[in-house]
Amino acid sequence: MLGYWSPVTQSAGFVSKGALAASVILMMAGFTLSESLPAYKTSPDVLHPPSAEYWLGTNGIGQDVFIGLVRAAPITIFLALVTATVALALALAASSLAAFGGPAVRGAVLRVVDVLQVIPSILLLLLLAAWIQPGFLGLVVLLALTGWHEDVRVALPILLRELTRENVHFARRMGASRTYCLRHHILPAIWPAIVGLFLQNVRQAALKSAGFGFLGLTDPRLLTWGSMMQDAMEHLYTDAWAWLLLPPAGALSLFLIGILIIGEGYSQSGGLTGKEQYDPG
Amino acid sequence: MVPPILINLLSGLSVRLLVFFLLVLLVFFLPRLLPGDPVAIFLSSDLSRDLSGSEAEELRSQFGVAGGWLQQLGEYLSNLVVGDLGYSVPHAAPVSQLLKAAIPWTLLLIACAAPLFLIAGAAGGIEAGKAPGALFDRVATGTVTVIASIPPFTAAVLLLLAFGILWPVLPAGGAEPLFPSDNPLQRDFDVARHAVLPVLALSLHEVSRFYFLARGEAITLSQRPFIINACGRGIKGWRLRTAYYGRSLFPVFLARMSDSLTGLFGAVLFVEIVFSYPGTGHLIYNAILDRDYVLLQGAVIVMAGLVLLLNWIIDAVATSLARRG
Repeated sequence: MLGYWSPVTQSAGFVSKGALAASVILMMAGFTLSESLPAYKTSPDVLHPPSAEYWLGTNGIGQDVFIGLVRAAPITIFLALVTATVALALALAASSLAAFGGPAVRGAVLRVVDVLQVIPSILLLLLLAAWIQPGFLGLVVLLALTGWHEDVRVALPILLRELTRENVHFARRMGASRTYCLRHHILPAIWPAIVGLFLQNVRQAALKSAGFGFLGLTDPRLLTWGSMMQDAMEHLYTDAWAWLLLPPAGALSLFLIGILIIGEGYSQSGGLTGKEQYDPG
Repeated sequence: MVPPILINLLSGLSVRLLVFFLLVLLVFFLPRLLPGDPVAIFLSSDLSRDLSGSEAEELRSQFGVAGGWLQQLGEYLSNLVVGDLGYSVPHAAPVSQLLKAAIPWTLLLIACAAPLFLIAGAAGGIEAGKAPGALFDRVATGTVTVIASIPPFTAAVLLLLAFGILWPVLPAGGAEPLFPSDNPLQRDFDVARHAVLPVLALSLHEVSRFYFLARGEAITLSQRPFIINACGRGIKGWRLRTAYYGRSLFPVFLARMSDSLTGLFGAVLFVEIVFSYPGTGHLIYNAILDRDYVLLQGAVIVMAGLVLLLNWIIDAVATSLARRG
């Protein structure tokens, strides 16, 4: 078992790079497209049902739902991706610290993770969000700081398992440097798990940030699918809910399903097992 | 010989007490680190603007923000120990009294939803995991995947729309009719009717977690000798599912429950807000909207304590079970 560049990991790495490139391109396209769209501005046509002029109708202050949907898409998705990346980076840093730092450091890291696990973070987040009405950066920081510890519980055992494998010992004995081992033996082996964790983080972040938007706790200027759903809540007793609620809810659900399906592909190609996955907020 | 569950309880207690104390400190200091104080916020709202200096000072001491930080902290902690969480001005009632009224409703929702999503998740997961790739597995896993991708508040809103507004067979909000019936039986019935939709929404959100867990476990269990042996002996149907699969799932389920309590309480919050259910989530949300920080702090501390308490008990039971094997 010397070659860790097995077809499975190789294809997983290839696909993830492709997906990354594709998402970056889509994101850029999204941002440019949403910039070229007419502004998401108020108008006298309040609660207009869908028509040729307003494809998905207008909300309570006359904003075009379709334009909002398109404009919110890159922000919502970008927010989830950035949060997931930050949380994963924190988790990997903590896992490496625990894996390389000796038993005392490992114990300390695991203790911190245990403590974070039992803290009802949603309550603290609410308390904070009520005070500061986080914008984009605020949400990223809040969600990443309260979400990274769950990744450590998955990443650390995998990292420890790979560090003690015979191929690593063998390479070290043959004179390979630590960085060489990390790049050629350990990283390829844990890559599928990292991608799986990342996708799981994206789901979590998307769900949580949508929740805050829905509760109206984010900066009112931050337009996300979650905050668009908040608009619908006052209009449940009229017909307007159909075009106010369903488009953003559908878009968000489609995004989450898409991430789940991609993640399933990874778990089958040797990433996480089914048990570690699918833990909605 | 001390029973092992007692040892687990004791060892878990110290960590949780520490966490709780840190949380209290955090809840105490966070608002004080941020600009402005409750009195300034209170005055900047439309309640009242022209207060003399001495009156503002009096309000300050009433809100517990007079004097140095250390003095404030001492006062806060000593009040907390005797159960005084402060006074909510918008509700014109002590915070502890408001929470006492709200917590039973939240616990009612959780107590009704927990058996529902645990049993549904286990039953569906076992059935799917017994024969992965079969028709049932594909249909059920597909359905649960879609359910897992609908944000909890959206599912709640859709349920509310479907059964509360478009086809109004069930009440759309609240926990009781405006004027509760005098007849206790009728009153219980009304409470149950009001709880149906919130409980359903909550279960729908939680079921996917346990479905996927049960399915994954069942797939592994199917290859274990004792199950193969049981199937070979002709044990099937109900007995195979409960006595063989179900019993083995128990420790894993408990462990996951203690991990996911935070998520459950988060979901309850959304469900209560959507259905205007008078539980703690609704209370917290209104406290945020009213900028009633005294209530918000008190509710966060009490709910955090409740989560830690439940997590502590479940964890101790789970550890004892896991040790038994």
